[in-house]
Amino acid sequence: MEQNPYIPITMKLIKNLCETEDKLVNTFTLAFLNKEDEENFKYMPGQFAELSAYGHGEAPFGIATSPTEPGIIKFSVAKVGCVSNALHLMEEGTMVGVRGPMGNYYPLEKFKGKNLVIIGGGFAFTTLRSMAVYMLDEKHRADYGDITVIYGARNPGLLLYKEELAEWETNPNINLITTIDKPAEGWNKHVGFIPTIVGEVAPSAVDTYAVVCGPPVMIKYTLPVLEKLGFTPEQIYTSLEMRMKCGLGICGRCNIGPKYVCKDGPVFSMAELKELPSEY
Amino acid sequence: MKISKEKFGQSFDALAAEYQVIAPVRDAGGVSYKAVKKFSEVKQDYLNSKLPPKSFFFPQHEKLLSYKKEGKDVTVKNELNVEKTILFGIRPCDAKGFLLLDKVFKNDQYRDPYYFERRDNTIVIGVACHKIAPTCFCSSLGLSPASSAGSDIFLIDLGDSYQIEAISDNGKFLMAGLEGLEELSTEEQTLVDTIKSAETTSKVDVSTITTKLDKMFDNPYWDTLHEKCLSCNACSFSCPTCHCFDISEEVLKNEGSRVRTWDGCMAPLFTLHGSGHNPRDQKKSRWRQRMLHKFNYFVHNNGDIACVGCGRCIKNCPVNLDIRQTIDGVNKAELVVD
Amino acid sequence: MTSIIDDIRKTARQLLTEEKVDVVIGYEKGSLPLKATPCFVRSPQDVDKLIWDETCENNLAAFVVKTPGKKAIIAKGCDSRALMVLIQENQIVRDDLYIIGVSCQGVIDQRKIEAETGEIIGATITDGKISVQGIECDKVFNFTEVKDITCQTCRYPNPVLEDVHIGGSIEVLQQATLFADVMVMENKSDSERKAYFKEQMGKCIRCYACRNVCPMCYCQECFVDCNSPKWLTGGVDSAENLLFQTGRALHLAGRCVECGACSRACPQGVDIRALSRKVNKDVKEMYNHESGLTEEVKPALNVYSADDPEAFLVKE
Repeated sequence: MEQNPYIPITMKLIKNLCETEDKLVNTFTLAFLNKEDEENFKYMPGQFAELSAYGHGEAPFGIATSPTEPGIIKFSVAKVGCVSNALHLMEEGTMVGVRGPMGNYYPLEKFKGKNLVIIGGGFAFTTLRSMAVYMLDEKHRADYGDITVIYGARNPGLLLYKEELAEWETNPNINLITTIDKPAEGWNKHVGFIPTIVGEVAPSAVDTYAVVCGPPVMIKYTLPVLEKLGFTPEQIYTSLEMRMKCGLGICGRCNIGPKYVCKDGPVFSMAELKELPSEY
Repeated sequence: MKISKEKFGQSFDALAAEYQVIAPVRDAGGVSYKAVKKFSEVKQDYLNSKLPPKSFFFPQHEKLLSYKKEGKDVTVKNELNVEKTILFGIRPCDAKGFLLLDKVFKNDQYRDPYYFERRDNTIVIGVACHKIAPTCFCSSLGLSPASSAGSDIFLIDLGDSYQIEAISDNGKFLMAGLEGLEELSTEEQTLVDTIKSAETTSKVDVSTITTKLDKMFDNPYWDTLHEKCLSCNACSFSCPTCHCFDISEEVLKNEGSRVRTWDGCMAPLFTLHGSGHNPRDQKKSRWRQRMLHKFNYFVHNNGDIACVGCGRCIKNCPVNLDIRQTIDGVNKAELVVD
Repeated sequence: MTSIIDDIRKTARQLLTEEKVDVVIGYEKGSLPLKATPCFVRSPQDVDKLIWDETCENNLAAFVVKTPGKKAIIAKGCDSRALMVLIQENQIVRDDLYIIGVSCQGVIDQRKIEAETGEIIGATITDGKISVQGIECDKVFNFTEVKDITCQTCRYPNPVLEDVHIGGSIEVLQQATLFADVMVMENKSDSERKAYFKEQMGKCIRCYACRNVCPMCYCQECFVDCNSPKWLTGGVDSAENLLFQTGRALHLAGRCVECGACSRACPQGVDIRALSRKVNKDVKEMYNHESGLTEEVKPALNVYSADDPEAFLVKE
């Protein structure tokens, strides 16, 4: 029988880690139960999956790991609704359901030979982390030019993946710029909102793609800065969030015009978004 | 070809032993499609059912899977069970509706097994309309009260007999098993021709609506159109092509199931994000979505308008927000030049 | 009727011309025979589309909460009772509202007509006679024969709250027994009642037309939509539907104004009133309360007094 896209595979929650000081974002590490499931779960950075907390429901989350990290997938999830709450409270070792991978991904083929500016805010950094890790992998690093990551959060405690960020600080293959909204004790890096910092860092638009993910307000104010730096709408990509249920382009709630964010997105270039109604 | 109702009834009763047969019957609220065992139970003279027969492929409430938790473990069971079915007495508008739903439940990447397992195991027997309700406007949507699109076998009621035509291979297969097929008389042929040339009296013009709507997302037309709308789902639930659904979980202790239920774009919660943001929080944007989805987005994605002119939404709207008037309104709306 | 319509239009024109209100919420002719449709008139030029007759079946109070600005509203007896409750419950500001009161003869129940004529193709109303051209047959009805069941026992056809009254008032028929319909239901055996509600609730498709058309159902989040806790499953069967309908009826205890809009709005013809009528009878018996009659008397279950009946709390 054909594959039933509504039936999740079962994965084991092997780590449930509190990621931020406000205790609102946890990173779930899920392990595949067998090779076959893992082979069938071929994904790329930018894709998402529907996570089932049995007894509570199912919700879509961006995959935070890169396909270069075998055996597991991770999700960093903010506690907002019934499913995310249940996941936060889940004991390690519990079985969860996973449907996916779903949606499109960052156009990593198109990015080859180009410089990348990855701009993220808050807990929307997950699939950006996936992409950065993918490009930093020794098999892929040579495919890309300079990689600049500009990542901000309200305060240092709200930055995700702190250990990894520390490693990137000293990694010559990546240029990491972190910022927080207001000065904080012990913080000696950038202070200021993302749009301002992007302006200050002023990455060149020549042969460069920018990928921006974050709260709507951050994206709204970052885009004009990028345009001023010479980025065209074709050079800017983002990943959209929408309320989703099926993840298959059928159930009808995540559309923007004729496009379904779950199936045709979530990754869109600003040029593509300009063609769509502003209803997101 | 034709077949007497007597002979047809005999075959019908025989088929009812092999298939689940669903046919129009009279019930408390009007006419509904229900499982029957005998042709004599079937309501012959009816306009159309109160609710569209889409529910036989896409039930209002269905289990997708069930699960059982034991400690940290879980076992998951697929809940897809399908019976071989004959849907009898489907009106042309609803049969066309099935063809449109086919395009929804299968896209460039996915095929919905719950829908298609039922669809693939069902034979649709359509029957031409003799009476046309004042709310019917299928003739404006490339259909007619006697169009056979979407039926496997198509019947025209001639009183004591049916004119019968096999439309699809499945239909041919079923028709091959029928006994008592005869040629039509000249008079009967004339009657068939008359029925086939019938049109609905109510009409709308959808000839340019898709291209017009391409330019109307920000049109002030939407500002007042929605005002009397109550945001209920009477229109969506009675529409043969509306297909939006919700997926939720029904739990009892450590067992439960994942179910899908009809949902609709008129409800404000339909698009509410976990963050509290809602891209369609206004009735205005929801009505615009309804119109654009049916007459524009669906056409761009599937090459067809997602309305079959059955008129149920008109009949059922508690505030008489008539889609025909809305279509007219779009046709008449002035485009805003920026 | 003609003079009432003229007076409604005159009043609406005046209110809009003098900019006393931004919008007049009234009825216009609908697209189907015997069907009026709510309309929102914002310009004096458009007042001539306002109508008034036995087809004006919606309770316009349902639109008041969500319509911004100063508004005038055409109010029948039941609409005015709904406005009264909305004011008592602080949902609307009285000063933003201009109530054009009209006494109501009752409205037509199209289902009664269609049961005999089939779908209505055309119809005219003259002097209490309704001539219907149906898809099955043509027939002339007396208005009283096809009057909505709610209106048949209506005791408040005259607005209880208004800024202007248009037309005459209607004499209220004294009824020997109030809630006779409920008593019939009460006298049925448990199994008969169960069978009745099972059948009725089995028809419900949970489109929520009844809830959304109800002027008293204005909750930001209805209990049926709440997902934590989740009161109902997504199931659509007579048990789940009954839970929704009884939940709604109980939320309307002491607040329901008996306009019957819920039953008329139901595309499936579910007897929703059967539940609310019973609750209304109980409220009347226990608290001697009928909702929305005077500004002073608040909805029975919104206030507490020491001598409230509490029979249901105490086991004898």
